[in-house]
Amino acid sequence: MPERKVIVESEVGLHARPAATFVQTAAKAPIDVTVARPGGTPVNAKSILSILALDVRNGETIVIHAEGEDADRLLDDLAAIVSVP
Amino acid sequence: MTTVLAPVAGFVIGLAAVPDPVFSGGLVGPGTAVDPRRTAGEALAPLDGTVLKIHPHAYVIVGVDGRAVLVHLGIDTVRLRGEGFGVLVREGQAVTAGRPVVVWDPVAVAGAGLSPVCPVVALEARPEALRPLAAGPVLAGEELFRWD
Repeated sequence: MPERKVIVESEVGLHARPAATFVQTAAKAPIDVTVARPGGTPVNAKSILSILALDVRNGETIVIHAEGEDADRLLDDLAAIVSVP
Repeated sequence: MTTVLAPVAGFVIGLAAVPDPVFSGGLVGPGTAVDPRRTAGEALAPLDGTVLKIHPHAYVIVGVDGRAVLVHLGIDTVRLRGEGFGVLVREGQAVTAGRPVVVWDPVAVAGAGLSPVCPVVALEARPEALRPLAAGPVLAGEELFRWD
């Protein structure tokens, strides 16, 4: 199961600019993508509403999961977005 | 159909005029923005619903039909770390449209070198589903746009 466990380095967490960029990137992919806290319930990474509700703060770890064509490349892109301080 | 109210008094400038490309480019969603009157006051719930998220500088209210509206009080105001803002509601709390949810001071925001412009965004809405109901000067609690 392709997934990435990454620390959210963005100062504002997964909100505002990083959240919008993250969701836009996920939404362009033709495959399902989810985000969760480790051990938590995954939410749809293509939904800005779900991402804002998840309320991930700076320094928290998230698990991004995707399956299907080019999943690894998509996960790398998404991990890179949240890794920018 | 949901009618979204202006959370603050001011001047309706549209999302494209917001000095932040994430909002002006519609990346967060379609909507509009209010350049607030420069007086301290309350920011209101823009619709009937439940407080999904409340930060000092931003909040999301989700209506009974699942339509959710984000109000962002100023641009990059997360940097103020809540200073000058007072939260009046809890997450999960039911609110009626027009209820005060945050007290804030646009003058203090501007004084900190940040834009006090308030984007009001219909999350996950189709842009064509929104119809503006206000242009130019608007009072807090007046109808801002319709969400079909």
